[in-house]
Amino acid sequence: MLVLNNIEVSYLNVIKVLHGVSLTVEEGAIVALLGANGAGKSTTLKAISGLLHIEEGEVTDGSIQWNGEKIDRKSAEEIGKLGIIQALEGRRVFGHLTAEENLLVGAYHRTDRNAVKNDLAMVYDYFPRLKDLRHGVAGYLSGGEQQMLVIGRAMMAAPKLMMLDEPSLGLAPLLVEEIYNIIERFNTESGTSVLLVEQNVRIALSIAHTGYVMENGRIVLDGTADFLRNNEDIKEFYMGLSTVGTRKSYREVKHYKRRKRWL
Amino acid sequence: MAELLQFTITGLTVGMVYALIALGFVLVWKSSGVANLALGQLVLLFSWFTYGMLVQAGLPIWVGFIAVIIFAVLLGWIIERFILRPLIAQPILSLITITLGLAYFIEGLVVFVWPASVAALPRLFPVEPFHIGPAVVSQQYLWAAIISLALFGLLSLFFRYHKMGIAMRATADDQRAVQACGIPVTRIFSRSWMFACVLAAVGGVLMSSIGGITFGLVGTGLKAFSVVILGGLDSFLGAMIAGPIIGLAENLGEGYLTPLTWPGVRDVIPFIIIIIVMFVKPYGLFGEERIERI
Repeated sequence: MLVLNNIEVSYLNVIKVLHGVSLTVEEGAIVALLGANGAGKSTTLKAISGLLHIEEGEVTDGSIQWNGEKIDRKSAEEIGKLGIIQALEGRRVFGHLTAEENLLVGAYHRTDRNAVKNDLAMVYDYFPRLKDLRHGVAGYLSGGEQQMLVIGRAMMAAPKLMMLDEPSLGLAPLLVEEIYNIIERFNTESGTSVLLVEQNVRIALSIAHTGYVMENGRIVLDGTADFLRNNEDIKEFYMGLSTVGTRKSYREVKHYKRRKRWL
Repeated sequence: MAELLQFTITGLTVGMVYALIALGFVLVWKSSGVANLALGQLVLLFSWFTYGMLVQAGLPIWVGFIAVIIFAVLLGWIIERFILRPLIAQPILSLITITLGLAYFIEGLVVFVWPASVAALPRLFPVEPFHIGPAVVSQQYLWAAIISLALFGLLSLFFRYHKMGIAMRATADDQRAVQACGIPVTRIFSRSWMFACVLAAVGGVLMSSIGGITFGLVGTGLKAFSVVILGGLDSFLGAMIAGPIIGLAENLGEGYLTPLTWPGVRDVIPFIIIIIVMFVKPYGLFGEERIERI
């Protein structure tokens, strides 16, 4: 179980980007972290995975605990060994390696060769397209295939917590749905917890159990996926829905303006 | 005819040793993006160290050679750990400049420890020449070629199948993503420097067993640069093919152009070839072009 307790993060000791973020990822849960650009979602993930240290960022207050152990001072490789793996935003495949080699890099820490072989078969089972393309150079795969490869690479580490940063970015809706179905299947079949950063609120809440909404480095709303899906503000600000069929009155627009800030 | 054959064979084999040294450069470049400008000085240092082990300490050849390899691994580790690692995340220019500093430091160290300007290694290989058709070639060349090819083969297998090798190639593509997989990139940099030093050591021993230890070995480093630029900075295969091309051009040029032009023309030839190739293929013969999906 991952617990973030009121963490604050600054870059270069000056630029404060997170102002007290608390969240919990229960074992085996899918948790969605939602919000607009610049809300601090990616920074939160990097704080957990330890990649923050490389970018001259630091957790200046609060604590991050993984199964009771404090991990916010640990390096990325120590955290990786604990079973927390982050798939970076933007489909960062190793362009000159083949698809299969990309997957094997994900399994770098594992010593049990048979288990790695089984997991390779498992990833190919989740993503049959990757099996056909396994000897192809990753740089030439399509965007969707690259995203599958990045998620598959994270799966190959046999993580206990898999963190995905915007897996839907720049993909066709059908493909997004396919990838999300696979993430959900992987979660139920392997019991791996998933922490999902997403701007596509609708698709994220379709598989998540709980969700958090971030804005300006703070969590402004949290609850079960059902609660969030039915929340009026979420509907209006993130899903673009309002009461269907009725004409929007001017008063409502003013209401929107009043409600621009949370709480 | 015999002359031509002889120039060709010596050119190709010396070129393979250049290629071997160049592989060390490619390795470091690929994994950490640092251009190692101390290559020639490393070759010089390892040659002298071999001299120290075999002649001055009087060790048997095999023991001495193992000592040289251990020294190379150790030096590679030291260079990465204490010179380059503190500079991680600094501008790339600082990293490259520090290798230049390292080059001068090693040069000074060599002059300090071994003030003699020339020396010869004991014979490592049988001397009887062998005959290919009308040409007579010293066996040393043949052995140099065999050892270079064998090492190249081993390295290719390593990069193809070993997980450390695959991870090293992955690091060349995207360092941050490798870190996100929980792989310690510093260990990868350290390994690449160890490999580079071992290759420089083997190359140095082969070169100096053929031509003796002179300050000219530093020039071998320059030859290796021409090889990597010709073959492509990030291509192992490119280095392995460009090496013999450079060696061949050098030897043929020396053989046939020296009478027509001036002595020492051989050292100019590689650079003329490079300039021509750079016009036609700016990434080098086998350099990886950036993969851009359109």
